[in-house]
Amino acid sequence: MKPLNLYTLYFLVYKNLQLKYKHSLLGFVWSFVHPLFYLLIFNFVFSKAFSQIENYTLYVLSGLIFWVYFSGSCNQLSQTFIKNAHLIKSLQVKKILYPFSEQLTELISFLAGFVVFIGLMFFLNLKINFTILYIIPIIILFSIFIFSVGLILGSLNVFFRDVGILWNTLNPALFYLTPIAYSSDIISNENNFYFKLNPLFHFFYIIRNVLYEGKSPSLHYSINCIIITIIFISISALIYKKTKNGFISNL
Amino acid sequence: MQDLAIELNNVSVCYLHNKRGIYSIKDFVTKGGLFSPFDKKVILNNINLKINKGECVGIVGRNGEGKSTLLRTIAGIITPSEGTCKVNIEMSPLLTLGAGLELELSGIENIKIYTALSGNYDKNKINELIDSVASFSELSLEQLKQPTKMYSTGMLARLAFSSVVISQPQLMMIDEVLAVGDKGFQDKCKKRIIEIKNAGATILFVSHNADEILELCERSICIEKGRISVDGKSEEVMKHYLNLFN
Repeated sequence: MKPLNLYTLYFLVYKNLQLKYKHSLLGFVWSFVHPLFYLLIFNFVFSKAFSQIENYTLYVLSGLIFWVYFSGSCNQLSQTFIKNAHLIKSLQVKKILYPFSEQLTELISFLAGFVVFIGLMFFLNLKINFTILYIIPIIILFSIFIFSVGLILGSLNVFFRDVGILWNTLNPALFYLTPIAYSSDIISNENNFYFKLNPLFHFFYIIRNVLYEGKSPSLHYSINCIIITIIFISISALIYKKTKNGFISNL
Repeated sequence: MQDLAIELNNVSVCYLHNKRGIYSIKDFVTKGGLFSPFDKKVILNNINLKINKGECVGIVGRNGEGKSTLLRTIAGIITPSEGTCKVNIEMSPLLTLGAGLELELSGIENIKIYTALSGNYDKNKINELIDSVASFSELSLEQLKQPTKMYSTGMLARLAFSSVVISQPQLMMIDEVLAVGDKGFQDKCKKRIIEIKNAGATILFVSHNADEILELCERSICIEKGRISVDGKSEEVMKHYLNLFN
């Protein structure tokens, strides 16, 4: 069964990429136009307000690209079973491959944009050294985290369509709760605990370690990220297992 | 004793069904979803079915009484809640119209993805298949390069049907698809099905057209309320089936 699944995965990713970019003139260019656009706005509006942040453009950029990856993937994954309903109903393909291929598609377009942004980051005075390689395990861990969040959303969305709508509402809220455009220093100490309940906080902390400060990621926060990912994987596995057999009757 | 192709033992399929029609969180709260929101609805009830290799079996029954669910169970898309379902031969995917068609992609892309997802990965073979699908469906190359959203219903049906029947499957399951397409294409499809059958394939054929079933199948089963009510020679089963509506 194994090679078969791999090929199926390949063709699902191929299909997703075709659907995503075939009928847009700019194609892959969109994967970095989107964050770039926000970068310009933030830079224009907030760079004075947060003048205590050194090299504000690099600060925002390092957070923003990962935020766009996160929110874009979760949006796609929350719809993945609904979108592929006709395939789920008639082909004998393992259902987990649909969200997985969706995640891979998002990862590919994220990486395509990321390569360009790394260039831009050097231009914005990111220190060049080998610690930047730490971003590779971070991206892998972050992708697994996104996949589990998306799988939870996608599985529940089959039964309650407002999970997707709810997610669209929560998405911007989460954006402002995560230190992307501002620094977490501005949060007062007593609120700090609640602030750190946001799992994304920890991921953005180590991402900033590498891509903004140019040093290796903090061990404490890296361990937090690994624990968070394990928790989310377990929850998503549980929910997916409980719900997958009911997909067909609810799609 | 002939080889068994499909063997179903006491198969039951239940769906978790929303008892109170809860499909959103609003319903969940207002209709008291916390207290057992789901109800088991039995679709297939204790089905026992043995089909030999090379048999062509017609399946009839009223709408919504479990024909498609039976095919999906055999195809392995639905896991039975009880009982066992054993299929001893390689099967082609269940044929429902428009399955996997992406309206934004061109006909060729669709054929490629569909054949791949149903188990043909060899690149040369895929190209070969695309050619034969093109010739079988009688769609011109120009039409095949258009996005399928521009196709008419009949053209879509041709494309979908061709992508499945063009290979030589060992087990083919057809779910009410012959009704579309013009007369010429319908005849062509029937001819192709007979070809596949003569080559030794096992065929499960769902239809509401008694003539088609009599033409293609020697044996038929009739499904009523999730049970097999009659199993036997097509002529007798058809008589029973037509009597259901009188």
